[in-house]
Amino acid sequence: MTVVRLREVTREHGRVRALGGVSLEVPAGELVAVMGPSGSGKSTLLNLAGGLDRPTSGSVEIEGRDLAGVRDLAALRRRSVGYVFQDLNLIPSLTAAENVMLPRELDGVRSRQARTEAVAALAEVGAEEVAGRFPEELSGGQRQRVAIARALAGERRLLLADEPTGALDTATGDEILRLLRSRCDDAGAAVLLVTHEPRYAAWADRVVYLRDGLIAEAGGVHLESAR
Amino acid sequence: MSIRHGLLALLSGGPRYGYQLRVEFEASTGATWPLNIGQVYTTLSRLERDGLVTPAGEDDQGRALYAITEAGRAALERWFATPVAQSDRPRDELAIKIAMAVAGADVDVGAVIHTQRMATMRALQALTRAKRAADGVAQRLVLDGLIFKAEAEQRWLDHCEAVSKASKEKNA
Repeated sequence: MTVVRLREVTREHGRVRALGGVSLEVPAGELVAVMGPSGSGKSTLLNLAGGLDRPTSGSVEIEGRDLAGVRDLAALRRRSVGYVFQDLNLIPSLTAAENVMLPRELDGVRSRQARTEAVAALAEVGAEEVAGRFPEELSGGQRQRVAIARALAGERRLLLADEPTGALDTATGDEILRLLRSRCDDAGAAVLLVTHEPRYAAWADRVVYLRDGLIAEAGGVHLESAR
Repeated sequence: MSIRHGLLALLSGGPRYGYQLRVEFEASTGATWPLNIGQVYTTLSRLERDGLVTPAGEDDQGRALYAITEAGRAALERWFATPVAQSDRPRDELAIKIAMAVAGADVDVGAVIHTQRMATMRALQALTRAKRAADGVAQRLVLDGLIFKAEAEQRWLDHCEAVSKASKEKNA
């Protein structure tokens, strides 16, 4: 099943073309890495795929729904899409568990259930023991785990990660990739990962290179899955 | 290196027989360095000739055991204490290919680089896959070593592309 599908998507900012006709599909259980030099359109692609931005032309579908027809994009994002960024955006005055609960509570889930989900999501990423701690009391790797738990809570199927290993050492970065990988293999999530580091891109099933807003040979690097 | 030092390192953990050395060597190098059993026995007999290992009887199944000697331990210690020299690669085919592509008048440098980048990424994916399946820290670290090297090549290719593109635009 295709979780996210982009068809001939373009994005122009005034007269600047950030993305020039990109088509890409990510099925459930697949990790796709997007690489390319600065300014090649990587983050634009990710923002469009997650409904944070709307395309100038072309279409974006998440779990079969064309985003052009969705009025409340924010609600769809909260239900279906999880984001992990380099600067983690954890709220400093909330504990790890409360950070994970927040988007669910915004979505109208009752506090008690949101907490149960948060604890489960933290356990899935191996961070249950830090549930009661504040972000500043966590290591970089733990914070990123919490951010991933927040992105996963509520069974969201699409995970978008923009340089999630940015500030981490390579051993911790590998752990984060192992975690993202297991979300695909075990939970059937679709993950779209933007990275400029080849060592992390190599965890993906498929590596896509962007060049001046266009895909330079999509699926050129495609390993047959062991699954 | 030396298979010699690898075998000495394994024997420093206690006497072992030939086939066992082969299996342990391959396991700890993440199968990146396959050995055949003939190499193991040839190396053992040279080590014995040099006084670095000595026969140590048989195990209960009649397999000939080897043990490390004091001289062997000293040789092993020296090996661990000596840094490995950066090997020169005077005939690195990739470097020559890129240099020739840049120097050539009508070669699409970007295409040459891209082709290589795809191939290196495929190798990197295979290594990562092997690492995910690896058990044991030694094995994982050997694969990590190869991953860092492949990554360095990727970065160098990105650099080549950016520099050659910039110089072309400047000359245009």
